[in-house]
Amino acid sequence: MIENALGKKRALIDKEIFILGGLLLLLPFLLPYKTLPAEIVIYALGAVSFNILLGYTGLLSFGQAAFFGAGAYLTGIFLIHFGWHPALTLVLSGVLGALFAAVIGFLSIRQVGIYFVMLTLAFNQLAFFLAYQWKSVTGGDDGLLNVPRPDFPLFPGLKIPIQGNLQFFLFVWVIFLVAFVIIRRIINSPFGRILLAIRENPNRARAVGYNIIHYELIAFTISGFFTGLAGGLYALFMKMVPINAIELLTSTDFIIMSLLGGTGSLYGPIIGAVVTKIASEILSVLWARWLFVLGVIFVGFVLFMRGGIWGLINASWSKFTTGRPEEGRNP
Amino acid sequence: MILRTVNLTKQFGGLIAVDHVNIQVHEGTVHSIIGPNGAGKTTLFNILTGEIPPNDGEVYFQEKRITGLKPYQVAKIRIGRSFQQNSLFKNLSVFENIRLAAHVQHQGRFNFLSDFRSFHSPIDQAHKVLEEMEITSIAGKKVGELSHGAQRTLEVAIALAADPLLVLLDEPTSGMSPEEAIRMVRLIRKLAKQRTMIVIEHNMNLVWSISTVITVLHQGQVIATGSPSEIEKNPEVRKAYLGGAAV
Repeated sequence: MIENALGKKRALIDKEIFILGGLLLLLPFLLPYKTLPAEIVIYALGAVSFNILLGYTGLLSFGQAAFFGAGAYLTGIFLIHFGWHPALTLVLSGVLGALFAAVIGFLSIRQVGIYFVMLTLAFNQLAFFLAYQWKSVTGGDDGLLNVPRPDFPLFPGLKIPIQGNLQFFLFVWVIFLVAFVIIRRIINSPFGRILLAIRENPNRARAVGYNIIHYELIAFTISGFFTGLAGGLYALFMKMVPINAIELLTSTDFIIMSLLGGTGSLYGPIIGAVVTKIASEILSVLWARWLFVLGVIFVGFVLFMRGGIWGLINASWSKFTTGRPEEGRNP
Repeated sequence: MILRTVNLTKQFGGLIAVDHVNIQVHEGTVHSIIGPNGAGKTTLFNILTGEIPPNDGEVYFQEKRITGLKPYQVAKIRIGRSFQQNSLFKNLSVFENIRLAAHVQHQGRFNFLSDFRSFHSPIDQAHKVLEEMEITSIAGKKVGELSHGAQRTLEVAIALAADPLLVLLDEPTSGMSPEEAIRMVRLIRKLAKQRTMIVIEHNMNLVWSISTVITVLHQGQVIATGSPSEIEKNPEVRKAYLGGAAV
């Protein structure tokens, strides 16, 4: 019984990671769209990072695009002007995202509920207008153009080409998996479990001795780091930074992906990213008002299927194996 | 003396919920606080644990002033409490509820990169509490699957999880069926032998059987403090609280 309650200790890399990696690796071979697979994986990283907050800490942040955009601009600017090693600019993108998240988090977390949400939204708008006005650095409305995508120097003398669509996808895929392994470990760490306690009942978490503001702020910073990293990849992917990388709509993209896929697990947001990106690619060709369809689907899920697609899969799977439906949420 | 208050006062608008309350709790005793609904018992608990600040007065724990500490700081100095309304980690297992509460007193709270299952001391501590509260058999169940009585038991178990020096229980038997209440009374009697506790309770059977000292609150004021037999005889208590009837 107790073994059930705790589950087994998880290896850093296990079967799940191989399955996930394998399934994602199929994308470029299954999809007729050449650049879409890399874009999906980049958004999946953003959505998983967002879900550290919504799914695992219980914080609904509308500020994710600020971290994503900051990361994108940083990589873009450093590659254009200084020609730095992309690995370095990507890490710095993460650091800048984390810094933004720490500041915005610090100023928002003391507020609860709707006030917290509105503050993150307001800060995202602030970041947007900053990027919009600061034309000399960000390119403003036109975007930051001509971001180079140099070959990736792995060792001195060995450069990995990432120009081609498949090459770039593999590059993103590797970074995604590394980031995912780290995020999954964080979620399963003592720290991650305390975040769960905060999600479940912040008042009791505080009453048993956790300074919840500290934990929430760290969660925010971690989410900001990985979102910033995704932003850096996005700059490399687009070979430019469009202004909408930092727009509120990008924040809502991550939210929609997570809710659609299911916030109860780390895999839900990935499924959400895959489904939304593919759906928008197909629907946008069929009908100019395709966002409407996506909106209806989204509302349907929020109203009737709280566990999202992952919850649905989980429930059907346990019904299939044990004959009784189970809650979609992870422990 | 493990805990004492000096002229503790809390006002909500025109209502004085806690009115110059002085209580002294000695180590190794069970101190019950009784009084009719609205007497200020839970408000007193909320002040002691930092949930709400007092308007006036002081709280001392082991002769250190702790007035105005935040709830998490109060928990850290090893005062544990249970709530009148269940306050649990709903989607987690019984075991995880207790383990999380136990982890507060152990290393690794800010460890991001190790699996939580490699920290054995909170796990061992949780096992101990499960046994003490006799809920080992439901350790794997999620809170949502439990009966009210089992949830109440877990509520108390969480208060004990971090091995507190002082335990505050707010109506542990509230809402229980008679059978569940009998079980809870037995459990608390067992706990009372080894711990210093302050208990708010309406179940007089329990109060009279576990208390070393009883304090009676009425309209925010202490109207009597003493041993159970002294309280039983106190005419003012009878008038205010027991309606003049014999206990």
